[in-house]
Amino acid sequence: MAHKVCLIRGDGTGPELVSAVETILNAAKVNIDWIEVEAGLKCVEAGKPIVPDETIAKIAEVGVGLKAPMTTPIGKGSVSPNVTLRKRLELYACVRPVFSLPGVETPFKNLDIVIFRENTEDLYAQIEYMCTEKVAHSVKVISESGSERIIRAAFEYARKNGRKKVVGVHKANIMKVADGMFLRVFKKVAEEYPDIESWDNIVDNQCMQLVTRWSIYDMLVTLNLYGDIMSDLAAGMMGGLGVAPGANYGKDCALFEAVHGSAPKYTGMNKVNPTALLLSATMMLEHLGEHDAKANVEGALKATLMKGVKTYDLGGSATTSGFAEAVASEMKG
Amino acid sequence: MMTLHGVDIYLWTPTIPELPKTFGPFTLTFISNRGTRVTTPPSPRVEVLDWPQCRFLSDAEVTDKDVDALMNHLTGLGWRWTMCQKLFRKEGADQFSQPY
Repeated sequence: MAHKVCLIRGDGTGPELVSAVETILNAAKVNIDWIEVEAGLKCVEAGKPIVPDETIAKIAEVGVGLKAPMTTPIGKGSVSPNVTLRKRLELYACVRPVFSLPGVETPFKNLDIVIFRENTEDLYAQIEYMCTEKVAHSVKVISESGSERIIRAAFEYARKNGRKKVVGVHKANIMKVADGMFLRVFKKVAEEYPDIESWDNIVDNQCMQLVTRWSIYDMLVTLNLYGDIMSDLAAGMMGGLGVAPGANYGKDCALFEAVHGSAPKYTGMNKVNPTALLLSATMMLEHLGEHDAKANVEGALKATLMKGVKTYDLGGSATTSGFAEAVASEMKG
Repeated sequence: MMTLHGVDIYLWTPTIPELPKTFGPFTLTFISNRGTRVTTPPSPRVEVLDWPQCRFLSDAEVTDKDVDALMNHLTGLGWRWTMCQKLFRKEGADQFSQPY
């Protein structure tokens, strides 16, 4: 029976990336019934909300989605389609694995860390005011329940995936109330997982340690803004946003996405690296229980990279579609 | 020069409150949770905190007394509030964010 998955083809280079991923998943013989839903710049240009209500409702109903990059229009009143999807679908756990890929040279050997970023609160509540003509106020919302669900999700992931260590990252030395609550919840939840080694760290120190002692880290769980920054830092350590996958999980719904932008200047040039969206799709395959297909796709991707087939961002000359065909040709079975 | 047009009132209540839709010059434009709209359909399926943000807004300029009257009215109805923030406009432009 086919898996039902909502598909957002995205803006800019998004549709080209989706075509590349479709080529590879077809070669992996995964039976997916794609349900195309609208979001992004095209909706705005058609006079609709950037993420129409029907799209939210459909993804909530189906429970799984794959999303190509979208463009946030610049200008007054524009909102991010990505943040809209995360908030309206309450996808509270942003999961960003970072790991070394063969053939992708970086100074960070044997990188293998999973970052859990809280996705719905913190300064990303985006509650802001001008209080006077010269003072602005941005409200940082941290809740006990919001902290607990992301921290618990991280420990559960660790247990399920054989991860041994979870570090809670915060700035409770300065924000003693808000981050202090996150830290308190982290320590309380950690006591329930004695099989998982855990400790906490201050976010600035954690950033330094990520680039100096990355091999001692296994999993990090943190607040929204710190997670946003740290996960892109870690993506750079992996080789750049072109190879970094991402997933957003809620209680009843999951949305898988490349975390990079839509690169509109490369639209139609068949140039952009589809690896990030492909690896996001392999996270989706795992979510769907297609473990063999996931292993097959990842194996084919690694084999392709080891042969030196790379897109421009990794120093190669392969096109988007050419890279996808090379990966597809490496598939077993 | 900023002009006053409303107030965001943050209540302390475990559920999405049933509030007067209008009071004096104000209209209740939305209630949000973590910056995500939870009233005025469509309402997403979200875990609700005990801290709803309730926006009362007026197209016309209002006064501090109007805000005081609204706050007193809600208090009289039994609502507990924890924080309020005035909503200003400058040259017609909102000086506050909108919910998702």
